[in-house]
Amino acid sequence: MSERLTIHLNDQEHQFVGRTLQNLLDDLGREQQGIAIAVDQQVVPKSRWVHTELTSGSQVYIFESIAGG
Amino acid sequence: MSNVVIADHEFGSRLFTGTGKYASAETMIASLVASESELVTLSLRRMDLQNNSDNILQPLQRQGMKLLPNTSGARTAKEAIFAAQLAREALQTNWVKLEIHPDPRYLMPDGMETLLAAEELVKQGFVVMPYVHADPVLCKRLEEVGCQCVMPLGSPIGSNMGLASRPFLEIIIEQSNVPVIVDAGIGAPSDAALALEIGADAVLVNTAMAVAQDPQAMAQAFRMAVIAGRMAYEAGLGEKQVKAQASSPLTEFLGALS
Repeated sequence: MSERLTIHLNDQEHQFVGRTLQNLLDDLGREQQGIAIAVDQQVVPKSRWVHTELTSGSQVYIFESIAGG
Repeated sequence: MSNVVIADHEFGSRLFTGTGKYASAETMIASLVASESELVTLSLRRMDLQNNSDNILQPLQRQGMKLLPNTSGARTAKEAIFAAQLAREALQTNWVKLEIHPDPRYLMPDGMETLLAAEELVKQGFVVMPYVHADPVLCKRLEEVGCQCVMPLGSPIGSNMGLASRPFLEIIIEQSNVPVIVDAGIGAPSDAALALEIGADAVLVNTAMAVAQDPQAMAQAFRMAVIAGRMAYEAGLGEKQVKAQASSPLTEFLGALS
């Protein structure tokens, strides 16, 4: 669990401690309601965040809900 | 007054609202509460990892409002389908306002891409609410592929120009078997009332409320206009006439004076 992984997060290189998508989110410490995540162009449902293992260079995009018309 | 039903969900208010362009989250929420709107749109964007954004979801949900994510930013059917899948996860809803505009200057909806995306999203189990030109042929096609309503524009998004597309809206309303929601361009409560008077099932308003000097008061004005418009439609408007028709009986009772 203590190893650092380097991924691409929203087009930026990003390091975090852990392996799974849920580890990444916990590391970011951001609101986890109202967000959606895609890993390597695939939407990952919330129920699979804890099981989704990231690898070095994984392309992760996190989206959030904002005001809009 | 009857309620509007979309995909078996009944709405007590025929005023749907957008959440964009308000000066603050507090003003937005207070205005939407004043509007009594039960369906509010939201957008998705890539999370800003540097800054926390306002949490607007919980206050909206606390008011019992149904959240309607849009696919704003999508330029193609493929992007819109992806955006809809993300939105379904983010907001835990299979409802989506499908909007595809490849041109950022005028934000004109791309009808061909919208039809392609709508067909696929319906197959994937979405309740699809497509934002399109006031094109009666396209609206019929969207209904045929399973859209639960159609959302033709009154005039360009954010233009406040009202129902520039009125003759086409009237054809769409006349032949539609799904609810017709006039979206975009509604600049004043009178525009909203007119849309309802001509038989639209609902309107979606954002800019006109958000940029008013007093958004909360404007929200109330829209609430009342939508009620008035629908009530007038259900009451049955009189026919337009070229010639005058007296409202008082024309009797000769003053004839004695001449």
